[in-house]
Amino acid sequence: MAEKKVEIRISGKTIQAQAGETLIHAIWSAGMPESIKTGCAGGVCGACTVTLRYSDGRKGGTELACMKPVEAGMEVFPCPVDAEAPVEPVMEPDVRSLQAAFPTLNRCTKCGSCSTACPMSIPVMDSVLRMQKGEFSEVAEDFTTCIHCGLCRFVCEDKVKPHNMGLWVRRSLGMSRDLSIPHGENENTEKEWQYLMHTDRELRLQNARQFRQTGKVES
Amino acid sequence: MMQWAQELLKKVEATRSVRLEQPAPVLDSVQEGALLKQYHPDYLGHERKLAVGPNAGEEKFPLELAELLEGDSSLEPDTTPKVDIETDVLILGGGGAGATAALTLAESGLSVHLATKLRLGDSNTVMAEGGIQSALAENDSARRHFADALVGGHGENDPELLRILCEQGPESIRWLSQLGCLFEQNEDGRFRLRAGGGTSVPRVLACRDYTGLEIMRVLKDAVRLTSTHILEEHVAVELLDDGAGQVTGAILFDRIAGKRICVSARAVILATGGSGQIRLQGFPTSNHVGATGDGLVLAYRQGCRLIHLDSYQYHPSGACYPEALAGQLVTEAIRSIGAQVVNAEGVHFINEMAYRDVLAGAIIKEIAEGRGVKTPHGKTGVWLDTPMIDLKNGAGTLARQFPGLIHRFERYAIDPTKTPILIYPTLHYQNGGIRVDTQCRTDRVGLWACGEVTGGLHGKNRLMGNSLLDITVFGRRAAESVLGNLPERGASTLTNLERFRSEREKVEGLAQTRSPQFFPEASGMKLESCAVEEAPKEEAASQSFEPPNPFNF
Repeated sequence: MAEKKVEIRISGKTIQAQAGETLIHAIWSAGMPESIKTGCAGGVCGACTVTLRYSDGRKGGTELACMKPVEAGMEVFPCPVDAEAPVEPVMEPDVRSLQAAFPTLNRCTKCGSCSTACPMSIPVMDSVLRMQKGEFSEVAEDFTTCIHCGLCRFVCEDKVKPHNMGLWVRRSLGMSRDLSIPHGENENTEKEWQYLMHTDRELRLQNARQFRQTGKVES
Repeated sequence: MMQWAQELLKKVEATRSVRLEQPAPVLDSVQEGALLKQYHPDYLGHERKLAVGPNAGEEKFPLELAELLEGDSSLEPDTTPKVDIETDVLILGGGGAGATAALTLAESGLSVHLATKLRLGDSNTVMAEGGIQSALAENDSARRHFADALVGGHGENDPELLRILCEQGPESIRWLSQLGCLFEQNEDGRFRLRAGGGTSVPRVLACRDYTGLEIMRVLKDAVRLTSTHILEEHVAVELLDDGAGQVTGAILFDRIAGKRICVSARAVILATGGSGQIRLQGFPTSNHVGATGDGLVLAYRQGCRLIHLDSYQYHPSGACYPEALAGQLVTEAIRSIGAQVVNAEGVHFINEMAYRDVLAGAIIKEIAEGRGVKTPHGKTGVWLDTPMIDLKNGAGTLARQFPGLIHRFERYAIDPTKTPILIYPTLHYQNGGIRVDTQCRTDRVGLWACGEVTGGLHGKNRLMGNSLLDITVFGRRAAESVLGNLPERGASTLTNLERFRSEREKVEGLAQTRSPQFFPEASGMKLESCAVEEAPKEEAASQSFEPPNPFNF
């Protein structure tokens, strides 16, 4: 199983790949690492965006090369997407402030390309419609798994910037949260630190073992 | 899918109802010690002393790393630095620590350049899944956090650094939240806290199993809104010094333009991260493609001491099947809410919330003693019984809390809510690194370090959620220390490199390795070392791509 070879084409160049490996591994093993951007190689940084075509007539599409296993006859075109200059998030965001930050918000023609392009299966177009209605907590939820590969923006004919708006909404909501974060001090704080920061390594470890049982210095 | 494993899966299913009730064996500290010594990769003697540099003749280093640390620079011997960019602060590394430092310097009025050999954010930070620790629970405190981490680190942690980490936990969560990070909350508005391996109370904040992604995308966005000059795909080749020991900048290689540039800086912050891609002992890794330990090599040549580098973290749950996911992380949080580790016989052989090094050792032992599961690709692992999660917490829990896991496996027709997944320890974190003081200063004036590239904080085993906190606390601290101690600009020379080279010449039998490695060579991914003399050869070919058909999605 591991020894089986398949032929694929990278930007028109035919290479041999191992069945079961990902496109990124195949491209690097073929000595062509500079032909594609690579980052985490684990599906979360969004560097290795590609478009694909299949030889058997199946519909191709967009993928992350680090997540896509090779298939015989596959044609691969790396398509790096440059980052977009961000827009400063705001406190208490609403549709008007979103529209001001992203003037193309309402240009969406509901073609659905963005949702098709998303390698994380985010319902991007539906979420853009939710943005237009100001349903921001749903939008924040939609974009929880967004890796900002930029493909939804890349394929948009109407210059809508779904993932940038998704992050703007998330950051704006996050900044607006009212948080109470305890300071964690009490009357024993100094005594506890003295106990735990013991200068003898062995005693320090022993004290720590005790302390983690109850969170207190046991006398 | 997983037809090959149907019979084996039946054994796991058969014991599930029993395992639901029965506790798994918990080892005492003597048993743990024995297990580590016999099975953990750190303890198997794949290490040696160095022949050159500040650590020469003292503690041991893993063989693969030792070769890089003793290696020679890829610069020609007659290289004379000619300054192309003058800046106040040069940050090397575009992950969480580097981005945090850049943000902290944003309002200072100093000019800041951040260079990364990949793109901003392509890092181990973005891949972190499980969460970030901070003592926020009512029965918790920074002291308890400290005690847990110290015991986890086998008492080897630098207590001063660790105290800072734990004390700064709540403040760091506030800082990240104000930047817009959405850590999960309970209905009462308090942060939801999970247990992690070795936490005595729930202390881990998360954003599903994408916590690092959440932090990194927010940091990236925030940094891009500052005046930081971001140099993407710029590889750090060597550090510069003034001839009297002070670090004064760096030579970078611009991968796109295919040329070298020389940056003069008053302060350099090393935030270059870890070294999983050097694949110690042939282990798979969960690290990003650039994690080749470059910062260790650069600092070592300058004369900085390294500590605890005999200690690496092998994350117990790296994916082992399918082959395409081998080495990738399956978050510890999955274990903390109920997925059990089970051998080929269906036996729940250890409590999965043991410390990471202990659990990794226990898995390797099961396999060594013949109770592992062999994949069609010849790898061997044990089961992580993910369907237990929904049995314990109610249907839908796994899918709701761990969308990343589901998403990665569904491509291979594996549904972790129904089928257990195979795991094997994966090289995950560089516990040791460059020695720093509480201000993130290295042994050289002008050179600061923060994040995974540093050593001491985590001792010899890091707890889940302490690295995301590390990059936040010490990324900020390094930047603040630079602000308080900024040296005057010094000359740009390669004196420290020349000194290192003459030291090398006195030693016989050194390997002719060039380092840093820049990109993986040891793994299956074979990018040759990025030669500084010439542009990447594939550049011309990449210009002639056939454009994709935009109407064919």
